[in-house]
Amino acid sequence: MTAAASTVPRRRELDRAVGLLIFLGATAMLFAALLLAYAILRAEAPVWPPAGTPPFPRGAAAANTVVLLAATLALRAARSTDRRWPALAAAALGAAFLVLQAALWRRLAATHLGPSAGALGDVFFALSAFHALHVLAGLVVLAATRTRPARLLTIYWDFVLIVWIVIYVAVCLL
Amino acid sequence: MTATDQSQGGDAGGDTGGPGDSPGDGQEEIPPEPAGFLRRHVFSTDHKVIGRQFLFLGLSFLAVGGVMAMLIRWQLARPGVPVPVVGGLLFGRAGGLISPAAYTALFTMHGTIMIFFAVTPILIGGFGNFCLPLLIGARDMAFPRLNLASFWTMAAATAVLTASFFVPLGPPQAGWTAYATLSTAIGAPGVGQTLWVVAIYLNGASSVMGAVNYITTVIRLRAPGMTYLRMPLTVWGFFLTSILNALFVPVLAAAMVLLFFDRVFGTQFFVAGTTVGAGGDPILYQHLFWLFGHPEVYILIIPAWGIVSDLLSFFARKPAFGYRVTVAALVGVVILSTVVYGHHMFTTGMSPLLGESFMVLTMIISVPTSLLFLNWLGTLWRGASRMTTPMLFCLGLVFTFGVGGLTGLYLADVVADMYLHDTYFVVGHFHLIMAAALLLASFAAIYFWFPKMFGRMMSEPLGKWHFWPTFVSLNVVFMGQLLIGYAGMQRRLYDPSVYEFLRPLLPLNRFISRAAYVLGASQLIFVVNFFWSLFRGQKAPKNPWAVGTLEWTVASPPPHHNFDRIPVVVRGPHELGHPAARALGKDWLGQDESPVRPSADNATDGSTDGSPPDGSTEGAA
Repeated sequence: MTAAASTVPRRRELDRAVGLLIFLGATAMLFAALLLAYAILRAEAPVWPPAGTPPFPRGAAAANTVVLLAATLALRAARSTDRRWPALAAAALGAAFLVLQAALWRRLAATHLGPSAGALGDVFFALSAFHALHVLAGLVVLAATRTRPARLLTIYWDFVLIVWIVIYVAVCLL
Repeated sequence: MTATDQSQGGDAGGDTGGPGDSPGDGQEEIPPEPAGFLRRHVFSTDHKVIGRQFLFLGLSFLAVGGVMAMLIRWQLARPGVPVPVVGGLLFGRAGGLISPAAYTALFTMHGTIMIFFAVTPILIGGFGNFCLPLLIGARDMAFPRLNLASFWTMAAATAVLTASFFVPLGPPQAGWTAYATLSTAIGAPGVGQTLWVVAIYLNGASSVMGAVNYITTVIRLRAPGMTYLRMPLTVWGFFLTSILNALFVPVLAAAMVLLFFDRVFGTQFFVAGTTVGAGGDPILYQHLFWLFGHPEVYILIIPAWGIVSDLLSFFARKPAFGYRVTVAALVGVVILSTVVYGHHMFTTGMSPLLGESFMVLTMIISVPTSLLFLNWLGTLWRGASRMTTPMLFCLGLVFTFGVGGLTGLYLADVVADMYLHDTYFVVGHFHLIMAAALLLASFAAIYFWFPKMFGRMMSEPLGKWHFWPTFVSLNVVFMGQLLIGYAGMQRRLYDPSVYEFLRPLLPLNRFISRAAYVLGASQLIFVVNFFWSLFRGQKAPKNPWAVGTLEWTVASPPPHHNFDRIPVVVRGPHELGHPAARALGKDWLGQDESPVRPSADNATDGSTDGSPPDGSTEGAA
């Protein structure tokens, strides 16, 4: 890398990219540790889900997954246009995901799958609630963005989506 | 690198070339200094100010944790006797006696404060912040505002932790490890433990913010010519520690998240066999905690190793012996530290095969640490040592780390650990490293960088008066703990004298306590020295220790932007006793100093002069 080729804004952008990658690595370790906890609990359980656990509403969780996927795609679209509506759509879909997740928690709590009702409910609630906080953080940054969303923001949203898909597959499907 | 050649040409040793004259050498416009008291001293984004803030925060909590240690030692030496002087104030309701609950809270908070709120802020927050940009030739951290957020998150964590003293049912009592189920709602119904969880989470968030900043800064902001193998070992220490921080503090955060959910939302991750049919497991907490906890040991000690490796070279007036081997050893320790955590859990009924694997991996760590240790001895060997205060503290660390490290081998062995687990032998072992070695390294760093931080020298005679009683008494205390642990005394006992077989140990416990009081009292010498020097110390010159790293090329204290002109680095950090320097009438060469004889090696790309810092001079020294 020749120093002359890199201008100051370009270097700042690279600084931020490196910083974001490290941050995402740290966040990935956090979710990996949560999933490890789930794996250990599941490996120790004689049957999974524990006896007496009602069936998990996979369909509702899958619908939420689609909403988050749509939000991520809308944000990607917002990168390549000067029009405002894709970014607004991404924000709306992201908020909708949070609302739908909250509705899902209420439903789970009502059907004896909420926190404190059993191991499966515990795992789903802890992982999805903590994940929701990360979606919320992405929403806050997006709401504060007046111009085209930065590439780093879309990377963060992609990351949050991937984490959610891993959680969905690991907890709801497997 | 072309930039190197350009600026070596004209200015011999000059540091005030016109900024911005050549576009391609990494120069940038100097950021303006902020105005206003708050922006400059409280909510500053300047890494030097934030470093000092971390240092003061850490030192304050070191004092608090130290007083707690004194109270613990009082209870162990005089069980059932009211605490003199402060007893009425602290334990008024119990008539000055330390109650069992208060004792449990004391050792819990002592450990928590010392590890998370004293050593971490002093070494990583304080010196990491202050040193990193200066030592690699940068104007600030990569993300100054994130740095500001990191400090204030830490400050919020201390506020939350302090609040736990004032809630119903009092402060947490589950030990610094907060093992489930002591720490779940069953063992600790009070809100104090929840506040502890939040405080540790915030503390971890602060550490991760710092780690993101430190790693990015080292990767992106090194001055031209500052290759990885020309970085001072201090920088290596902070760099590697930050990598561990970024990867493993989140694991602790995950444990805190689950513990928080258990306590607040009624989940049962760490609760087993309850009536609700919970599939939780208390051992799960230990897995998560030690998966973080063992790297944490190295998170704390690696900066100390880095600092000591540099300082031993500086004060032995010799290049660091085996610089590359030291770096490789540090990297090796970082990698190995991630796969040994199981040695904390030998007694949890883990599979013997797993236990043996962890034992072997743990013992392999002694290979890189031995290399590191031997390199220190190699650095000292036939050096022209200057016995300054920082050097004394470094030598003290070499000794206590040697003893502490060797006792670790006993604990790494499954069979020996079955007996020694949860005894004072463990307490003595980790205090020799976590308390003694880290404390000595922190003091070495303070005495060494104080002139650069505050622009004044600390008193050398007072520093030596601080060192000797500290060094002797802390070894007596912690080696005494090894002895009573070997004799079978468990840790965390409120009153060991209730057990007949521990009663003969009471005189030894009293002796250890007296040594601990000496240790505590001798820190007053440091406090006096620190504050006296802060206001009345002799004005510090630019380079009081006559060493070559970049922070000593700027004024003491450095200006807001550190470097008027980003230095161009041409050699490693330890060019001491360099024969070529004699021509200049000194025994060291600065990292950015132009080569002495321009004809000799100026034509090359600089690598022949700088990159093997331990190669060229060893024979001559």
